[in-house]
Amino acid sequence: MNAPLIEIRGLAKRFAKRGGRGGRGGREPAPWVIQDLSFSVSAGEFLTIIGPSGAGKTTLLNIIAQIDVASDGEVRFQSEHAPVGDAKALKPGLACRIGYVTQDDHLLPWRTTLQNVLFPLAVQGRLNGSTRARAEMLIRTAGLNGFENHYPHELSGGMRKRAALIRTLVYDPPVILMDEPFGALDAQTRTQLQEDLLRLWNLGKKTIVFVTHDIAEAIALGDRMLVLSRQPSRIAGQHAITIPRPRDVRGIMTDPQFAALYQRVRGELQ
Amino acid sequence: MTTLGGRSSIGRSDLWQWIAASLRARGDQILVFVVLVAIWQVLSMTLGSYWVGSPWGVATRFAAGIADGALLRQASYTVIEAAAGFVLGALPAVALPFALRRLPIATAILDPFMVGGYGAPKLALAPLFILWFGIGIESKIALVAVTVFFIVYFSTQAGIRALDAGLVRMAQIVGASEQHVARHIVFPGAVPYVFAGLRLAMPYAIGGAIIAELISANRGLGYLLQLGAMNFDTTGIFVALAATTCIVFLGNWSVNALERRLLRWRPPSDVTLQAGT
Repeated sequence: MNAPLIEIRGLAKRFAKRGGRGGRGGREPAPWVIQDLSFSVSAGEFLTIIGPSGAGKTTLLNIIAQIDVASDGEVRFQSEHAPVGDAKALKPGLACRIGYVTQDDHLLPWRTTLQNVLFPLAVQGRLNGSTRARAEMLIRTAGLNGFENHYPHELSGGMRKRAALIRTLVYDPPVILMDEPFGALDAQTRTQLQEDLLRLWNLGKKTIVFVTHDIAEAIALGDRMLVLSRQPSRIAGQHAITIPRPRDVRGIMTDPQFAALYQRVRGELQ
Repeated sequence: MTTLGGRSSIGRSDLWQWIAASLRARGDQILVFVVLVAIWQVLSMTLGSYWVGSPWGVATRFAAGIADGALLRQASYTVIEAAAGFVLGALPAVALPFALRRLPIATAILDPFMVGGYGAPKLALAPLFILWFGIGIESKIALVAVTVFFIVYFSTQAGIRALDAGLVRMAQIVGASEQHVARHIVFPGAVPYVFAGLRLAMPYAIGGAIIAELISANRGLGYLLQLGAMNFDTTGIFVALAATTCIVFLGNWSVNALERRLLRWRPPSDVTLQAGT
């Protein structure tokens, strides 16, 4: 593999203590959420990150997406360093090159599905015939055709997730961060969306950093998998997943490598 | 008011169907209305129509006032004052919180004054405005504008504060500028709150106009009320009150119609259910 696309060295994060007044005692500083975390992501790689809840997974993605600031360490995307300790210098999404699919879909309730999907193109001033055609193609691929003019409250949970995912894919950022995007869905819809995601990933082979707390999901989707420890977050394990692609998400449990990996990761998460 | 024109395109049979459907939907409301009128009638009979004008007397005077145009003319003065003051008060009340959104220090400085202005009894300002602007239409408009301003200001501000920070972050990540965020996220998100303020302020606008007329005017519904009181004409007072109520209903209906048009994206709530569509 060539030079890493994202590189994180000695990352540490703690949140500012809540305002001086009203706090109990206030003797000790806020605890570290992440401490001495280092890893890198190569171009085109599908990296899954797993960790117990409260392990700072969302905080980590927020720092990479530059909507939150690191307290210490080094965060580099391509040749650019993210600011450390200075929240005012953050560049969210770093010039539209880092897409972010959050836990909540954050669809704009006053826009229809199509208008939501076109929103990034509209604000980037890239709305034209060919980008529109691409948006329509993605809507069809994700099975949302027929729902273009529906408002978010008229869509099911799975459809909303699909719409949020397409909204990120439509402007084609080279890196996409995903924070438990399928967390709140039922098992059926979830598997379906995992298949959709792999199919969409195959279209463009983007770099994906996918956070989850589901071991099976992390194995089924990723090329490589990071296991985070409890707070303060450190790397508890790292595994290459060599199950050949294209993968069968539904049948992956029967793969011998899957069972062995599953047990090891469970051990690391204890 | 302009939305009234929309109905004219509907054919006559459609209109009858619409009336029949509304009657069916509003059966219970009609029942309550009848009960209230009955209580009114009983009061009028026991206390005498000198103290409480009879419903029939009020209805006939009301109809006569509409037929000869006198009541409509007086009502139109009040409506014009209320509408002008409403617009004059509501526009800055909506614009100011948006302007202050990115200026927390200015907001903090202004806040206690706004709270003071909100809490002060605006109707007590009426004599002052009459002193400043005379007994013409200007003093009424000023009173209405001040009353409306504070109500709409605080509800708009609440809408901006209730903004989902996640939506803003999403927009920033996909490349939205500060203006994009204001236009596509903050404004549409605050519109329901703006309308809540407008709906709340609407009766106050009409009330404010009438109070200002009561104090000093030679026309308008407030003037009619005052005239009725001076002539010991309770029926006249009741006619003016009935006209006021009709105006409040019309105003409320206009605000609701505008809101339904602008907030089509909202999941059906009690507001849209009331529409009986």
